[in-house]
Amino acid sequence: MPSLLATGEDRAALLERYRSTPSGRDKPSRYFKYDLESLDVDATAAERASGNVTFANVPPRAVVCDLQSAQRDHAELFARAYRAALEPQHKYAFLTLAYGGLGAFVYVPADCAIDEPIVVRYAGGAGESLFPHTVVLAERGARVTVVEELELGATGFACGVSEIVAGDGADVTYAAAQFAPEDARAFSTRVARPARNARISWATAEMGASLAIADVAITIAEPGIEAAIASLFFPTGAQHADVVSTVDHRSGDARSETIVKTAASGAGQARFLGNIRIAAHAQHSNASLRDDSLLLSKRAHVDSIPALEIAANDVKAFHGATVGAIDEEALFYMTSRGITRTEAERMIALGFFEPVIERFPTEALRERLRAALERKVGAA
Amino acid sequence: MSDQGLRISGLRCSVEGKEILKGIDLVVEPGKVHALMGPNGSGKSTLAFSLTGHPKYDVTGGTATLDGESLLDLAADKRARSGLFLSFQYPAAIPGVKVPNFLFAARQAVRPGELTPSKFRALLLEKMDVLGMDPSFLGRYLNDGFSGGEKKRLEMLQMAVLAPKYAILDETDSGLDVDALKDVGESVKALRASDEGKNTGFLIITHYPRILQHVEPDVVHVMMDGRIVKTGAADLAHRIEREGYDKIREEVGAVA
Repeated sequence: MPSLLATGEDRAALLERYRSTPSGRDKPSRYFKYDLESLDVDATAAERASGNVTFANVPPRAVVCDLQSAQRDHAELFARAYRAALEPQHKYAFLTLAYGGLGAFVYVPADCAIDEPIVVRYAGGAGESLFPHTVVLAERGARVTVVEELELGATGFACGVSEIVAGDGADVTYAAAQFAPEDARAFSTRVARPARNARISWATAEMGASLAIADVAITIAEPGIEAAIASLFFPTGAQHADVVSTVDHRSGDARSETIVKTAASGAGQARFLGNIRIAAHAQHSNASLRDDSLLLSKRAHVDSIPALEIAANDVKAFHGATVGAIDEEALFYMTSRGITRTEAERMIALGFFEPVIERFPTEALRERLRAALERKVGAA
Repeated sequence: MSDQGLRISGLRCSVEGKEILKGIDLVVEPGKVHALMGPNGSGKSTLAFSLTGHPKYDVTGGTATLDGESLLDLAADKRARSGLFLSFQYPAAIPGVKVPNFLFAARQAVRPGELTPSKFRALLLEKMDVLGMDPSFLGRYLNDGFSGGEKKRLEMLQMAVLAPKYAILDETDSGLDVDALKDVGESVKALRASDEGKNTGFLIITHYPRILQHVEPDVVHVMMDGRIVKTGAADLAHRIEREGYDKIREEVGAVA
């Protein structure tokens, strides 16, 4: 097990924060069976906290290291970013912190542009629990793409945090696609705090796990920021996935775009809550939320809830949502060109995700997503 | 060969329990251009959808054969593979499916194994050039965010790429400006001039005769209230242009 960070907090206190923080999520329903308020993860996870981190494409001008090295060798930089974007409402992050130790620190100096995506790979064996914490600090004008990979063993558990702190005009893309085994559980909290004129782009996918819980958030506290969240998830079989996206416009003159594509088949259960908040003084904000859901079986269920809280009066806010089965007119159109109904369904279902897939930064990752989606569509 | 052609006989069709087609007899021979004209609501589009196998259109009587093969028991994709094509009045948008991927899948379905992907791409670019289409179409999702004119152009591109034995154009001319209308006419001519399309038979469904200034029909049919009430040569279209449909309605007497 990776050694704990010296944070001055004890595990019991962090676990108590985990238990006492509300999940902000719906209660169990006849569709969604898990009670996310009181999951018993803390009791089982502790003994098996494990895993390792490896890196690929580490550029010479950046710092990419594990958390212990970061704390030892780059203490000042690390202290500026570690837990700097997390906020007290991030319930599952307390679990990560309680068992913290595994993680990565990515530091990109000012005006340094890195083209090749840096890969941070977490891996654990069967039955092991991972609490990975990735911290990205991009200085003024820096540009970087991080791809986080997570390999869980059978019945494994992951509860991770990704944090981005971006300086003025920095440009950070962070992609994380989860393909955990279907008897594993995968939780994630992803938060970003950009400075003025910075660009943040999250691309996330929940493909595996019996239960996936994901929080993706960007806090806009300064003007000129461009924030993007693109997420897809696709529970099949008996999988459950609960995704919450939050864009918090606390400063005006900034733009955000959230795109979420959800499909469900078999008895798959999906819940999505899309928060867009625009504070009273955040004038000239421009926020859009687009969420589409595709139901591929009668027992599958998707709950998609947009939550727009807009207190400013001079803003542009767009919300669009669709939910339904594959459109019969679209199917007829394709079959009228000679394409079989099965193939047409496959093409339409895969195409449904494509606007989010395109946000992932490498062709390898996009192809892996398409292949995984294809298997899921084929099994539907 | 007497079974050649798109042969429709006594075709009746209901939509949601209401009978729209009340016995249609029509034969489109290979290589010929037939125009099907008629006022709105006369059943022209219903004929197009019932022939191509739309699940909402319930054929209750009659027959339809394509070069001898019965169409009505086939699913829509099999009808297309036997050589039937419909240019839609309102083509569906399919986000996430790129135009060339869709066209390649369709071409492979209709004419399996004839073209490698690279040869297909060459064919596609050639046909787009003929239609004056910008190569940027290739990067776009199928009909997604397309203007009315762009959708019609893409329908014509599909017709060119699939080179069907029989093509039904369902009001492909509606909502088009003069230039776009001319392009539709050119698409039909280009297909007829090609090796693959020299025997293609056309059924051009239209409300207005203006498309027929660009494509001279061999035969003109007038449809009213679910029946073909008059059939004639190209000059019938000119007459409709001059006189409208009311005169013909009076002439053929009260139908339904």
